[in-house]
Amino acid sequence: MAIIERPSTAPAVPAVATPSSSLGALKRPMMETGWKSWLFTVDHKKIGIMYGAVAMFFFIVGGVEALLIRLQLAMPDGKILNADVYNQMFTMHATTMIFLFAMPMAAAFANYFLPLQIGARDVAFPRLNALSLWLLVIGGVVLNLAWFLGGAADGGWFMYAPNSGPVFSPSNGVDFWTVGLQIAGIASLIGSINLIVTVLNMRAPGMTFMKMPVFTWMILVVQFLLVFSLPVITVALVLLMFQREFGATFFDAAAGGDPLLWQHLFWIFGHPEVYVLILPGFGIISEVLPTFARKPLFGYPFVVFSGASIGLVGFGVWAHHMFATGLGPVSVAVFSIATMAIAIPTGVKIFNWLLTMWGGKIWYTTAMKFAIGLVLLFTVGGLSGVTHSVAPSDTQQTDTYYIVAHFHYVLFGGMVFGLFAGFYYWWPKVFGRLLNEKMGSWNFWLMFFGMNLTFGPMHILGLQGQPRRMYIWTDARAGEGFFNLAFWNMVASIGSFILTAGVLVFLINVVYTWRKGPVAGADPWDARTLEWLTTNPPKPHNFDRIPVVHHLDEFFHRKYEEDTATHTMRRIADGADLVRAEEAAADSDIHLPGPSYWPLVLALGIGVLGLGTIYGIPVMVVGAAVILLGSFGWVLEPSVPADSEIDPPSVDGPTKEIAPLG
Amino acid sequence: MTNPTDNTAGKKQDMKSTPRNPRRALAGMVAGSGLLLTGCATNAPQDIFQPKGPNAHDINQLQKLVFPIAGIVGVIVLALATYIFLKFRDRGQAIPSQAHGRPIVEITLTVVPALILSVVGVFTFRTIFDLAETQDTEMVINVTGQQWWWEYDYPVQEDFGINQPIITSGQLVMPVGTKVLLRETSRDVIHSYWIPALNGKKDAVPGRINLLRLEADKPGIYAGQCTEFCGLSHANMRMEAVALSKEDFAKWVANQQKPYAAPAAGTLAAEGEQVFLNQCVRCHQVNGQKRADGTAVIAAPDENVYSGAAPNLSHLMTRNTFAGAMFDLLRPACRKDVWSAKPEEFGAKYLAGVSEDCLNATDLRAWLRNAPAVKPMYADPTKLGPTDGKYRGMPALGLSETDIDKLVAYLLTLK
Repeated sequence: MAIIERPSTAPAVPAVATPSSSLGALKRPMMETGWKSWLFTVDHKKIGIMYGAVAMFFFIVGGVEALLIRLQLAMPDGKILNADVYNQMFTMHATTMIFLFAMPMAAAFANYFLPLQIGARDVAFPRLNALSLWLLVIGGVVLNLAWFLGGAADGGWFMYAPNSGPVFSPSNGVDFWTVGLQIAGIASLIGSINLIVTVLNMRAPGMTFMKMPVFTWMILVVQFLLVFSLPVITVALVLLMFQREFGATFFDAAAGGDPLLWQHLFWIFGHPEVYVLILPGFGIISEVLPTFARKPLFGYPFVVFSGASIGLVGFGVWAHHMFATGLGPVSVAVFSIATMAIAIPTGVKIFNWLLTMWGGKIWYTTAMKFAIGLVLLFTVGGLSGVTHSVAPSDTQQTDTYYIVAHFHYVLFGGMVFGLFAGFYYWWPKVFGRLLNEKMGSWNFWLMFFGMNLTFGPMHILGLQGQPRRMYIWTDARAGEGFFNLAFWNMVASIGSFILTAGVLVFLINVVYTWRKGPVAGADPWDARTLEWLTTNPPKPHNFDRIPVVHHLDEFFHRKYEEDTATHTMRRIADGADLVRAEEAAADSDIHLPGPSYWPLVLALGIGVLGLGTIYGIPVMVVGAAVILLGSFGWVLEPSVPADSEIDPPSVDGPTKEIAPLG
Repeated sequence: MTNPTDNTAGKKQDMKSTPRNPRRALAGMVAGSGLLLTGCATNAPQDIFQPKGPNAHDINQLQKLVFPIAGIVGVIVLALATYIFLKFRDRGQAIPSQAHGRPIVEITLTVVPALILSVVGVFTFRTIFDLAETQDTEMVINVTGQQWWWEYDYPVQEDFGINQPIITSGQLVMPVGTKVLLRETSRDVIHSYWIPALNGKKDAVPGRINLLRLEADKPGIYAGQCTEFCGLSHANMRMEAVALSKEDFAKWVANQQKPYAAPAAGTLAAEGEQVFLNQCVRCHQVNGQKRADGTAVIAAPDENVYSGAAPNLSHLMTRNTFAGAMFDLLRPACRKDVWSAKPEEFGAKYLAGVSEDCLNATDLRAWLRNAPAVKPMYADPTKLGPTDGKYRGMPALGLSETDIDKLVAYLLTLK
């Protein structure tokens, strides 16, 4: 049950005394079923599932917020929400969708599949992984607590200074927002370091970087983006917190500060964040398209390097969010050209996906439909993106609905469709049952049409001059004729309900599958990568035997070989047989890290400490005490449980050295 | 400020030789969703494809380049995709050879977009610097954003007959064919100035002065809106740019500098002036107004308003809007008459101002009765802690209906 599959030959850290068993009254929570087995788990798969559930919950919350926004804007002078609540609504819609749905859902996929794809038994730091999850949950709770405690944040997810200051946003909403995001940020930062170490150190023997699945590659790029961009937003959030709580003046022009400082800090984080959101979707469909086209990804190295260069260049384009702020022509020109440059690797990806299907044998499953949907919708979003890389043209488009259309094509079309492709593709892997394909088809088409009906008209609205973030629009400026705002606003609102119907079908499908779905075989999609070389769902230790990798798409190449005469592929083995063969050759002793209370305790402490910045020093003291307790508990607990703590004790006891990490 | 360079003179001539057709078909865009946009005279007033001045025209030239390119690329990708989806369906064919791609195809598909983008880049680069040109400015107007209205301050410029500063709000009045430079800043949060027919957006940032050039080809009203989220009533922070012929502009300037004329004693308006002196002058200035004892009335908005200013109401009835251009001072029929006037008739109609017949008394009275009820503002006296008791926006004044009658009568005299 070791988390390190290659036995270390020397004691890991001889100079440090490592505890051999946890101390005190709290016996290690070793149960394997029931709610406690989830609450205290450090298993990357259970954590991944919980990430997914939390993200799905917030997807629904953010979706309801979006529906309220569309209801309000369906007609001129909407009366559903007042200005104040509307401003909170669009702020929290974006915040929720980005930080509490998109990033955690990507983390769910990364947590679950990345170790499986690289042939590892867990992530490098399992307890830190649990801490990430619980911090995310705490962050999400803190962010949304504000709704019930005087109103949510109302400054937009970009939270521009000085409008976010204590005078202009007097409720506590922004305070909850800064604290919640800092906590969620710690979660992401810990998670990213964890995954980077996992990828760098824990790949199966033979898996060189250029034999790594593209999903794993894209997740790796994303983690580097997070490591370098999260500190910047954290700095910005701390400055804002000091401005609000302790009277600092970083963004106050009258006191010598500069409101644009916030914008630079925010977008240096904010633009890489866009790629943090989109690249996991790219990674998922780079697995799905080859699987269902029965061809390897076209130009694998180009896709990998274009992903990496998107990530790199993504750090050099932040000021294209600021073309209207008066940067001066030189800066504007540089950022304009850099933004055009980023379109090139992005275009490379689209062509590579299309050419992956070229000459293939395409199987139109729901997962494949969503993947194809991503390619088409993202193309639209990418092309409208090129129109605002042209800075002068952007000064007409920015802050209008045209931008809203653009980034929803990129993020909903690009990311959410990718995630849904992932749901359908990997559901049998995680739950052992196949999602219903017929409902899947309904799900896809409702979402595809709903999405185009919702966000397509926003191109028109924006080009007709309807600005964003306005709680009402007026008939006086709606125009007449084909492009009038009244008609297209109504269409967009109707579209949003069709889109919702699509999501509901998915939720029904999930429940149906859970109750009655057909049990999936070992290899329902004739898949290509290592995560399928184990049972569905995988055992706690993932692989009975650590696979040795010889190919990119290792699993596929164990099943097929090329017929030299016809240059087509001939089946030489069955996926299920391969899985059985692995089971038969199982390693005799596998030690996994044990469950722990401490990640949850530590996360709770951080949450209380955060609330203390709003509710005063006594609360902070309580939080700090809990953090202290959690840290000591953590440090004094070995990552791998001693035999005495396993009930009943393992039959043979450990025979291999294990390196206690985590 | 009046030294147009040869370069811009040439550009102007060039523009005259190519009349722009407002019904011009625009550009195919966003092929994926199959939208095809056409410009059209009945489009919304903030349609970004209907430039009415050289700055917006320059931008539109770029849009006319990049939108069709995006559209064509989109159509090609969509066509290729559709072909692939149909052609390579699973028809029981064998699983193909596991080829990993061809570098030559990859390189072509990298280089071709790069070339297309470099063409776009060159034109973009040039336009960015053209639009930032301010050497040949002919007229300066200071524009200050405040939650949730704009103040326009015309510094003394003898060339235009402006012998004393003019401070106004609601509508930016400018002469046609004149390179007007806006010097933008803000008194509170970031706002953004946007008249789509005349130029792109430029943010008004506290502590900074940002420059935005406007120039209108023809007389008329051009609609705009604040486009940087600026808090509660962001949606209600609108603006209108009014372009007048040079002669009409001179008349407008002369009228703005006309001395204050108190309403005749004994009229309803004179009673209204008393209400105004009791209530409104705490924040609102009317230039030249005097008290009964002959002392000048100086408003002190900074004592009552957080950001320190309230709209100057001198010559209010020469404007067509109030409350941050959220409401019209003209009744709908009269408003339509002005907005749809032909360029040659526009000036006379605009300069006529707001007559009693045309006054939109409904909205004005509602505003005077309880301003925060019709425009969301931070004006609840119990919730002014963070601003040390100062309002953001106009509070409810608790005026009686008779006071409102008097006040409306008085305001109508501010011509």
